[in-house]
Amino acid sequence: MYRVLCHVAAVVALSAAPLRAGELAAPEGDVILTVTGAITTTNDGDSARFDLGMLEALEDRSIETATIWTEGTKLFQGVSLSTLVDTLGIEGDRLRATAINDYTVEIPLSDAVEGGPMIAYRMDGEVMSVRNKGPLWIVYPYDGNSDYRTEVIYSRSIWQLDRIEAVE
Amino acid sequence: MFTLKTPPLRTRLLAWFLLSVLGLAVVAFMSVTVAKDLRLLNSASSDNVQWTLSQAEVEFLEYELHLARAIQDPAPHLRDLRREFDIFYSRVATLRESSIYETLRRQEDFSTNLDKIHAFLLGTVPAIDGSDADLIEGLPHLFEQARDIRSTVRRLSISGLTHFAAESDQRRTKIAVTLMQMAAVVSILLLALLLLALYLNRLNIQNIRRRSQVVEANKRMKIVTGTALDAVVVSDATGRVLDFNAAAEQIFGYTTEEAIGRDLADLIVPDHFRAAHEAGLKRMRESGEKRVVGKGRVKLEAKRADGQLFPVELAIQSAQTDDGERFIAFLRDISHLVKAEAELVAARDRALAGEKAKTDFLATMSHEIRTPLNGLLGNLSLLRETRLSPKQARYIKNMDTSGKLLMGHISDVLDITKYDAGKLRLRPVEMNISTLLQDIIDNQSGAASANDTTLQWGWVDAPLTWIRADRDRIQHILMNLIGNAVKFTHGGSVRVTAQVDRDAPEGPQLLVTVRDTGIGIDADQIDRIFDDFMTGDSSYDRDVGGTGLGLGIAKRFVTALGGTIEVDSEKGTGSTFRIRLPVEPIAAPAQAAGHETGGEAGRPKHVLLVEDNEINRVLAREMLTAAGHRVTEAPNGRVAVDLAEQQHFDVILMDISMPVLDGRGATREIRAGTGPSAQSPIIAVTANAMAEEKQAFLSDGMTDILTKPLTREGLLKAVSDQAAPAPAETEAVADLVDRATLDEMRDTLGAEAQTALLGRFVTEVDRTLSELSDADPQDLTETAAQAHKTAGSAGVMGAAKLRAALVAVENAAKRADHAGTKTAIKALPAIWAATLPILQVQGDRDDS
Repeated sequence: MYRVLCHVAAVVALSAAPLRAGELAAPEGDVILTVTGAITTTNDGDSARFDLGMLEALEDRSIETATIWTEGTKLFQGVSLSTLVDTLGIEGDRLRATAINDYTVEIPLSDAVEGGPMIAYRMDGEVMSVRNKGPLWIVYPYDGNSDYRTEVIYSRSIWQLDRIEAVE
Repeated sequence: MFTLKTPPLRTRLLAWFLLSVLGLAVVAFMSVTVAKDLRLLNSASSDNVQWTLSQAEVEFLEYELHLARAIQDPAPHLRDLRREFDIFYSRVATLRESSIYETLRRQEDFSTNLDKIHAFLLGTVPAIDGSDADLIEGLPHLFEQARDIRSTVRRLSISGLTHFAAESDQRRTKIAVTLMQMAAVVSILLLALLLLALYLNRLNIQNIRRRSQVVEANKRMKIVTGTALDAVVVSDATGRVLDFNAAAEQIFGYTTEEAIGRDLADLIVPDHFRAAHEAGLKRMRESGEKRVVGKGRVKLEAKRADGQLFPVELAIQSAQTDDGERFIAFLRDISHLVKAEAELVAARDRALAGEKAKTDFLATMSHEIRTPLNGLLGNLSLLRETRLSPKQARYIKNMDTSGKLLMGHISDVLDITKYDAGKLRLRPVEMNISTLLQDIIDNQSGAASANDTTLQWGWVDAPLTWIRADRDRIQHILMNLIGNAVKFTHGGSVRVTAQVDRDAPEGPQLLVTVRDTGIGIDADQIDRIFDDFMTGDSSYDRDVGGTGLGLGIAKRFVTALGGTIEVDSEKGTGSTFRIRLPVEPIAAPAQAAGHETGGEAGRPKHVLLVEDNEINRVLAREMLTAAGHRVTEAPNGRVAVDLAEQQHFDVILMDISMPVLDGRGATREIRAGTGPSAQSPIIAVTANAMAEEKQAFLSDGMTDILTKPLTREGLLKAVSDQAAPAPAETEAVADLVDRATLDEMRDTLGAEAQTALLGRFVTEVDRTLSELSDADPQDLTETAAQAHKTAGSAGVMGAAKLRAALVAVENAAKRADHAGTKTAIKALPAIWAATLPILQVQGDRDDS
């Protein structure tokens, strides 16, 4: 329901701003995320490029959880994967996420649900450096749902993320 | 041979169930363990971890590569170099922080290398984070450092891999063990299941066998109920018929198909029992109270299909089944039984009525015969007192003998009738058994000597003289036994012995044995000799006569007295009769004990004699007037009432059954009236006085009761008893009369014969006295003869003083003593006057 409402809200927002379909504001700072593939909203040819400010402008969300890679409980802040999917009008059935070191995982689009994974850009309120698994990290609410404490999910929790390709 | 006691099926199944649950739980637990292990095994964690480890090396090499390139490149891509460093740094940070590597970090080898690498990173960070110029400057140095640390990174990677390989081995072994365990448990479970299957199979076989047994039993039951002669009807608690056997079909007229499912009440319960039946069912349902069920057979009525009612014998049993309570009724058609029973009852009633009629007839006839016979004998005795020719006197004697014999027979029949009707009453008195025996022996000695037989008696051991018992009955018994012995013994001996058994548990017993050497009794008759109308040898009967009732009566009397009688006999050798009687020993009564005879007996009284039978009336009148009483006669109750209204009578003798007004009515009227005789004693005279009737007479106002036939003693006593109490017998009286002799005579002859004899005696004495006083004083021989003859009579009659006086006359006359004779004769009238009243009332001590 909520998701539908968001959808509607997004549509209303888009119709209110008489932007061309698939148009996104251009990044002003360093681009930290590039989304390509089956997307309808772009800002650079066939791709959508985001700087931190653009991501922070999107509806944000927090997850407080422990991870198997860090010590203690961390507060993650970022954009829900579903919000990104809605924002970019991502179609297709999976996302191919790639890290700075070219490590790549495939995330089924079905994972992008409300309360599901998000693209975190802050940990404990701090922007994440590359040394600290930044700048972006796909985090699932591991503590909130035992379904997210599996090896597959752990493998999808890609850090040092910098590219996403929506694959049909 | 014994069997193990097996627990109940339910317990066994429960045990199996629990065991199975336990097995399944173990299997489930192990499955979870295995699944977990498998998941661990399956998960990418170790691969991932190993990949991460190798990735650390790869990323280090990338950094080193970029470093080498940067040294050679005049314009190095510092950004890329920094990124590669950061990536490696991040990787190492992950290895240091991540929980995944916690076990790995505990490996000394791994942690040492990790610490070295971390130290290297921390040493490198200032250069990397410094300005580009400083970085370029320091590149060769960084490269050197990196080259130095390369082997450490390699060792880190390898030590991790070695560790994970060992861990993986361990895990596999653990899983293998778990799998083995699970296989074992599953095997056990399978075995258990197999056993359970075998057990269930056995149960099933058992069930099949039991079922066939039940079917068989059911079949047998069907055969039993089907062939039963009683109707068997099974119903449930609401009265619905569930089973109806062949006999029920036949008895009630419904087929089984018709009956089953229908209500018992509609089917066989008669309409007038319907309410009770339903109330009973309701009561049973509500309170469980059962009134007919299980209480044995009851008799009820049932209804057939055609509505006919018939009697049944019914027994109901109940049984608890799984479907609720069942009632099984067994019914038997007892129509024919009831009918037969009714017929039997009717037959019995008829027989009883017939028997009673016979007894009544016998009793009545005996009375009816006795009354006129008594009149006949009484008149005979009166006739004898008239002047008779010797021939007439002989005829009269013969008539008297025959009449008395007849009277004896009638008395016998009456005794039997009374006994059989249960009306024989004992009259215990004080008696001297020795005297009684002696009297009987004396009485029979004449007959014995006529048969040339010796007759003796005696006591064995100590004698018992005085007892309290029914003297008349004992006398009758002994007279009969001794008389028989004498009668049937010719030229032999009869021995009578008496003995007292004082130690018998039931009290003192008198045993009398009568042993003769007579003709004996046939062995085939000995069992019947106490039967009525049983006589011995028929050829002998003519000699000895008899009704054949004697022993029957003797046995009845012995039984009535509570004793026994038995006999031993051998044909031709003799018989022995033994009687055994319970007795009550008493002290000898004082010699001076008073007699009830009234001294006033001689005082004349005015008697009103009410009697419709003329002969009886005349006889009674003669008896009374002979005793000096004045008599007024009335032929019926009406006349008597009128007379009693007009004048005073000292005594009224009232017959009961009379025409016009019977005795009871007359008595009530006299008592109700105010005439001068209203309070006079009234004596009922009845032929058939039963105890209850006597009570009625007394309540009518009668004073006493006299039973017909009247005896002189009874009559006179009854009349004199209504006077003042009798004074004690005086010494003079004892001198005048020898009471023992009188008793003996009465016992021998009976009171009536004695009365007759007394009449004759009175006549004789009167005549003798008048003849003696008128006689020629010179003819002393005639006087002596006259005195002798009358003295003999006086001796027999017990007039002791008169006898002594007459003997004195005789002796004086024989001595030819004229003066003495005259004196003696003069004394006679006074003695006679004193003696006569005593003789007249003598013998009334016993109820006659």
